[in-house]
Amino acid sequence: MNDERKFVLLVEDDPNDARLIQRCFDRTALPVQVMRLQDGDEAVAYLDGVAPYDNRVSHPLPCVVLLDLKLPRRSGLEVLQWIRSRTYELRRLPVVMLTSSHHAVDINRAYDLGANSYLVKPETIEQLTELVGLVKRYWLTINRDPRVTVS
Amino acid sequence: MAVIKPMDRTDRRGAGRQILHSEAAFRSLIESVHDYAILMLDPQGIIVTWNPGAEHIKGYSADEIIGQHFSVFYPAEDRQAGKPEFELAVASRTGRFEDENWRLRKDGSRFWANVTITRLNDEAGNLIGFGKITRDLTERRRAEQRYRQLIESVSDYAIFSLDPSGIVTSWNLGAERIKGYSAEEIIGQHFSRFYPPEYLAAGLPAYVLAQAEQNGHWEGEGWRLRKDGSRFWSSAVVTAIRDEDGDLVGFSKVTRDITDRKLLLDQIKEHAAKLELRVKEREQTNADLEAFSYSVSHDLRAPLRAIQGFASALKEDYADTLDATATSYLTTISDSALRMNRLVQDLLNYSRLNRIDIESQPVSVAEALEQARLELADSPGEIAVHVAPGLQVAAHESTLVQVLFNLLSNALKFHLPEVIPKVAVTAAPLDDGSVRISITDNGIGIAPQHQERIFNVFERLHGQETYPGTGIGLAIVKRGMQRMHGKVGLQSADGDGSTFWVELPAVNA
Repeated sequence: MNDERKFVLLVEDDPNDARLIQRCFDRTALPVQVMRLQDGDEAVAYLDGVAPYDNRVSHPLPCVVLLDLKLPRRSGLEVLQWIRSRTYELRRLPVVMLTSSHHAVDINRAYDLGANSYLVKPETIEQLTELVGLVKRYWLTINRDPRVTVS
Repeated sequence: MAVIKPMDRTDRRGAGRQILHSEAAFRSLIESVHDYAILMLDPQGIIVTWNPGAEHIKGYSADEIIGQHFSVFYPAEDRQAGKPEFELAVASRTGRFEDENWRLRKDGSRFWANVTITRLNDEAGNLIGFGKITRDLTERRRAEQRYRQLIESVSDYAIFSLDPSGIVTSWNLGAERIKGYSAEEIIGQHFSRFYPPEYLAAGLPAYVLAQAEQNGHWEGEGWRLRKDGSRFWSSAVVTAIRDEDGDLVGFSKVTRDITDRKLLLDQIKEHAAKLELRVKEREQTNADLEAFSYSVSHDLRAPLRAIQGFASALKEDYADTLDATATSYLTTISDSALRMNRLVQDLLNYSRLNRIDIESQPVSVAEALEQARLELADSPGEIAVHVAPGLQVAAHESTLVQVLFNLLSNALKFHLPEVIPKVAVTAAPLDDGSVRISITDNGIGIAPQHQERIFNVFERLHGQETYPGTGIGLAIVKRGMQRMHGKVGLQSADGDGSTFWVELPAVNA
């Protein structure tokens, strides 16, 4: 496991959004490695270390998960619930919701389930670039990570 | 020590016989009876004894009456019909005769008598005369009569009686009115004829009587038939009537025609059911719309973000190779996508405002304004807020913030290019218990003829190039204020700025 390398897990089913977010990360100073997964089941499999994600060297645990709400197979809230209900350290993993929903119901539910932050996808790429820059600075630089090891 | 011997049977029998044979004692017993006329007749009906009760009831003294024939007590018509002789003949043959009927007093007045005549025999069984006991039941009869008349005159309730098998034995006016049969027609008929065929098939009449017999009474509602075959909805109580020994002697039945009430109740029930159905349908529609708008806001806006994002990315990443025209095309693509994104968002907000539950609670005006202003932090212009910090209104917070945001955003937008927008916000309680929040700008103003239509959806007074917008902002303001039971209005003149105001109920902190 490479502790030095900052690593973000992006769970996003829309390939366009994923590409734009990826581009934003790429364009920040000190690029960050982003692993993108397309649905909730994949996210759980990755975090659970199930094949094909069973090698923690090539598939390390992220510093932060950027989690969309509306996902195929298993919704973002279900993934969040799964993470928070682990009996081992994984449950501490910082989770930031990144979604197009600004409905109060979704926001409240996400916090109820233990989200660390809730961000709404902005209208323009300029705003998105700014947002990603802030996320990177806050969650990968300022924030102190909890200890999260493999089960 | 003295021994007390128990009295033997012989002694007791002896004592009893002594009393029985003591005619004096027996006579004194009879003499003391006041409420019963007790007399003896010889075999021919001649009166031989007379007690004070007899004198009390019939008015004759013993001297006057002893030796006369007992037929003097009978009204003339009964005497002519030979009733006295008939009664003695029955008593003589069967040992006993009992009757209730009119009898005469000495003064000729009538009283209602309960009469028992008993045959008296000697030890050999030969007829030696008759004992006659008479009671005056006039008062009881009058009470019964009054009661019967009362029942008969009741017209809103059918009150009638049945014998144990269900045959009608009495019938009042109300029964005649409700069911259509006269007393003569129906007395003697079985009450099951009041029941429609489907109830008869189910054996309801027998069930009703069985229940009444078992539980003392039965109560129920249902359709019944009138004489003419028409139906009415009845509410009925059937009560079992028992004699002193507890034997069933019949039933009383009280029935009301509550058809009107029943129909009204059915109508109300029907309306309630329809209403409930509509509410459910509406709830379903709302839920469908909510799900629809949710997926629209998520799915429809995603491609717009992509269009805007990739157009901008293209413009930026390939700035070196693109000429000015290509760059301006990309700008147009990007701007259009952004505009459409806002349009979708505004439309969703507007339609959502029509559906969501708006529950008012105390909201601080200053805080709501602050929230709205934060969203406008990037817009050029000045917003000066003069609002007392403690001022509260009854509102739905997020809706009020949206309303204020839309008004402030308009106030900052519609100005001449050379003018720096200046907006002043004030709030003050009115006499009618509401608070008016006023937003005054130094903008282009609105001509009087446009002041009404600007609140309609998609209503715009300017082209996109002059003042961009979706044409939904003020429609949201109007709808939002309606949903919060508030008011909205404006004062403006063309070219002279505008003051938009909203009013909401004040909340006393």
